This record gives sequence, structure tokens and C-alpha cells, in this order.
Amino acid sequence: MKNSFRILAFATAAAPALFLTGCATGVQNPSGVPVTEMKADERGFVAGTGVESQDLVAVTDKMARGVLGIPEITSAKVAPRIVLDPVVNETRFPINKDIFLTRIRSQLNEKSMGKVRFLDREMMKTLERERDLKRGGQVTASSDPNVVEFRGADYFLTGKLQGLTTKSSQGTSDYILYSFRLTDARTSEIVWESSSEIKKQGLEDAAYR
Amino acid sequence: MATLAVVGLVAFTGCATVPDRPQVIVTGDAVVDGNAQRAAAPAKDRALWDFRVAASALRAANPAEAKLRLDDALPLIGGILANDADAKRARGLFSAESTKTFIGEPYERVMAYYYRGLLYWRDGQPDNARACYRSGQLIDSDAEAVDNKSDYVLLDYLDGFASAKLGGDGSDAFARAQTNAKGKTLPPYDPAANVLIFADYGRGPRKYSGGEYGEQLKFFTKDSAVHSATLAVNGETVVLPAFDDLNFQATTRGGRVMDHILGGKAVFKRNTDVVGNVALVGAAIAADNAYGRRRRPDGTIETYGNRDAQAAAVALGAIGLLSKLASAATTPKADIRMWDNLPQRLSFAALRLGPGEYPATLEFQDAAGSTLPGLTQTLKIQVEPAARDTVIFLSELKP
Repeated sequence: MKNSFRILAFATAAAPALFLTGCATGVQNPSGVPVTEMKADERGFVAGTGVESQDLVAVTDKMARGVLGIPEITSAKVAPRIVLDPVVNETRFPINKDIFLTRIRSQLNEKSMGKVRFLDREMMKTLERERDLKRGGQVTASSDPNVVEFRGADYFLTGKLQGLTTKSSQGTSDYILYSFRLTDARTSEIVWESSSEIKKQGLEDAAYR
Repeated sequence: MATLAVVGLVAFTGCATVPDRPQVIVTGDAVVDGNAQRAAAPAKDRALWDFRVAASALRAANPAEAKLRLDDALPLIGGILANDADAKRARGLFSAESTKTFIGEPYERVMAYYYRGLLYWRDGQPDNARACYRSGQLIDSDAEAVDNKSDYVLLDYLDGFASAKLGGDGSDAFARAQTNAKGKTLPPYDPAANVLIFADYGRGPRKYSGGEYGEQLKFFTKDSAVHSATLAVNGETVVLPAFDDLNFQATTRGGRVMDHILGGKAVFKRNTDVVGNVALVGAAIAADNAYGRRRRPDGTIETYGNRDAQAAAVALGAIGLLSKLASAATTPKADIRMWDNLPQRLSFAALRLGPGEYPATLEFQDAAGSTLPGLTQTLKIQVEPAARDTVIFLSELKP
């Protein structure tokens, strides 16, 4: 019996080593995490305090509604021509600046029933090349290519993103002001302006602090 | 024997198989190999490989790849990582810190933004570049000592320069940069400068773990021989002094919240080990006294049991076993995964050049200002006629 207790004592000492031998970090999410389709205006489970899709949707919806409500658009006899000017980013978040204006444009085109027209200045180089080919007789033309038909803008639509950030041991807080304006190309008057503000804050896990 | 069998069974309970890491065939091309490593790495290490590949790609004049990798990492490192299961495990007693998703220490995250900023600028988006510099400076804002908060010279300097380029007022940012420049006089902004030179040299900080159980995150820093650089181009010599030092930045952050957690784990590991030792010694002593022998009146030897000693031996053995198990399973080791191809010193200069191709010579100097032999690089600078600035990235380090 005394031998048995000696074995027990030995086993007690040896167990920890045995216990950990061969153990490695376990597999995380062994079945994987299935793709979750979310609405663009819904906050996802991967979040930050910067510009996210739900902000983009909320802001551009508001701006498109605002532009469509002004008399310069609703009462115009001829559909006004609008040129989009790149958004200026003054926040601490690098963003795809075109995405705001692209969504506002597509919202306006969808909902305005032809009350506004957008001029595609991004295509100017391609359009000029095509016009030159027509002028040179290298391709056919359905109208006189020597007549300037590129339209000038009646209005410029642009925006600015500005931000304020606070960081402390309590977390990070970001306030972003999204402001957009429509400027009369002839008079430089701002005929419409609207803004939207979003504030977010969060505190990362202690493992990252 | 039965006890050993039980221990054996327990030993393998809960062990899961870990998939083999795919074999990576090394080609010698840092970008290709880094991407192969990235593909083979667990998801928690993706940002680490993104960082490494991005730096290699920049040095290999492959900005598209660098952009791709940084755009992959920035949403992760710029977000708020909360309610994260890996992070929770990393804080737990029985998982190492390195089980958490890698986002790097502040100086590593700052560099990701710094590099992405120059790539935005290269693409004609100085406002997005400025956003990166602002995010970088914010990351450094929670250093322990006030003097070390947001003290990157170039991040403020470039923030102001981008504002000046965009027609704004960069004077506040310039003033902050000048304050942090510690005696160096920063060149005034020239909004008409169209060639921006970003240069880095020296090898950056390296992490290692210290303390009894490796629970302390420490940095190995070696001052590089290269202290400055010069670029000879178009008949002029552009001085590229060191404005920022990553060795300094890595070692002046102060303590982390995670350091306290790891310190607590180390104390737990030590205490449970001591308790386990004491209990097992006690169990052995009790076991020795669990049975005795005595001579009967007829002269024969009788073995008798001491129930108290037996109970004590079993109890102490169990306590010792559990304590030793807990101690052995506690993993306080600090996470030393690191962006290991960072430079030590960062520099910047802006100049005016007309469109065209310019031969140039890059030389590196030591602390005394003498040119270091064997490091000279000859290159061609292509200045585009486009309205956007030409951004040149130069490094002493190989891809």
C-alpha cells in the first residue's frame, strides 16, 4: 500500500507535464462563420467610429431629398444641368470620396423623374476624343460635329466632411459633419445647403490598450 | 496503475487537432513570399503580413500591392475591437496574448497610416493622405507621458502641408510639428512644390519578451549607422534629415493596460506553482506516514493504516495537482509578433521640378555627416506633367 501512495505522489507531480504535452491552441470557429447579408443602412458587427455604409445611406438619402425639394429644381422649366465636384475630406478617416456623390446622383436620377440632368465630366476626355474622330471623318456622326454640344453646368453639387475626435482612457469619440451644397454656376449663389451629423464612440478591448 | 490511466485520459481530454499550416515555398521575392505567408497564416495574423508585405512592396516600387495590403489592414486597425472573442481569450489566464488578432503596437499602426498616406498623395488625394496622418497622430495620443503624446513630427508637418496644398491654412499643424522637432528647423511649406520625397533608413525596433515568464513586452533598439540622407537631383542637393525615430517612438509609449493583465497572469502562475509545490511535498510526507508497521506480541510484523494521514495525502495531492495544472496552463507571455521590416528614421523633402525624367543619386550619411560607402543608390525620377504631385519613396532597406 505504501508503494501505491508513492505512485500517487509521482503521478501527481507528473500529471501537469502530461496534461499539457501535445496540447496546442484549439481551432477557432471550426465550422466557420457564414456570410451574413446585411442591409446597407444597417450597422454591421464589424464597426468603427468612422464613415460606414449606414452613414453613407442615411446622409445621401437626406441630401437627395433636400435637392429635390428646392424650387430651383421643382419649378425649373428646363431640367437644370448639374456637375458633381469632388467632396473634400477634412476628417481623420480616409474615404472613397466619390461614393457620396455617386449615390446622391443615382438617388436623384432614380427619384427626380427627369427633373435634373447630370453632366458626365469624368467622361470628358473620352467624349472629346470621340468628337475629334467625328470631326476628322474617321467615324460617322449623327449631327454636325463642329457644333459644340457639350453642355455647361447650371449648378455644382459638392460636399465637405469635417470631423472632431476625442480620445481618452474612456474610449474614442468621433463626430463627423457631412455638409453638401448646390451652387449656381452663373451667380455663385448657394441655392441649397444641408448637413448631417453623426457621432460615434467606442472603447476597444483591454487586450488592445 | 488505475491512477496513471486516469491521468493519461485527462491529459488528452480537450485537445483539438490544429490544421497543418500549408507549406510555403520561398522564392526570394519578399512580396511573393510575404503574400504566400499571409495566405498560409491564421486569420489573426493577416494584418501582420499585410504590414510586412506593404513595406516590401513599397521598397520594390510596387505601390499597387502596398495599397492593396494596407487597405486590407486599415479597416481592422482603425476600428474599435470590442466584444472580440480572441481578445477575451488573450486576456484570460490560460491563453497567450498572441491569440488575439494582431493589430500591432501604436508605432506599427502609425506606420501603416503613414505609408498609406503617401500612397493617397501619390494618387492625387492629399486630403485622404492628411486623414491618414491625423489618424496616425491620434493613435499616438494615448502615450503615458504628456511629452510623448502625438509627437510624430512628420505626421503634423504633412497634415499642415496637405492643408496648404489644398488652399487651407496649415500653420497650426506646422507649429505643432516644429514644437516636436526638438531643435530641428523644419522647412517652410512650399505649396508649389510638386515632387515629394519620402525617405526612410535604419532598421526599426524589434520586440522581445522579458520577465520571469516572458510577461513583459520589451523592445530591442540599435541605433542605425545612417543618420541622414541626401538626394542629388537636377543640380541641387536635397537634404533628407531624420525627423522621426521609430526606436524612440516604440520605447516612449509607457505601459499598456495589457501589461497589467499579463503581470496579473504572471503572479497567478507563480503563486499556483508555489502552492502546488508545497501541497505535493505535504502529500508526499503524508503518504509516507499513511502506513506504519508494528510488531505483534507474537513477534510477527503488522502493517496498519493511518486514516488521517491517508486523507491528508489524498487532499494535498489533489490540491497540488490542480495548482500545478493551473500554473502550467497559465500563459502570461507577451505578444511579440512584430512588423519586422520597419525603418528606424523617417524623412521628407519637397521640391519643384518640371515634367521629365531626372537622374538622381541617393547617399546616406552617418552621425558625423560622412557619406557611408556601399549604400549609395542611383535612380531616375519621373515627374509627370499631370496636376497631381509626384511622390517618390526612397529607402535604405531592401524589400
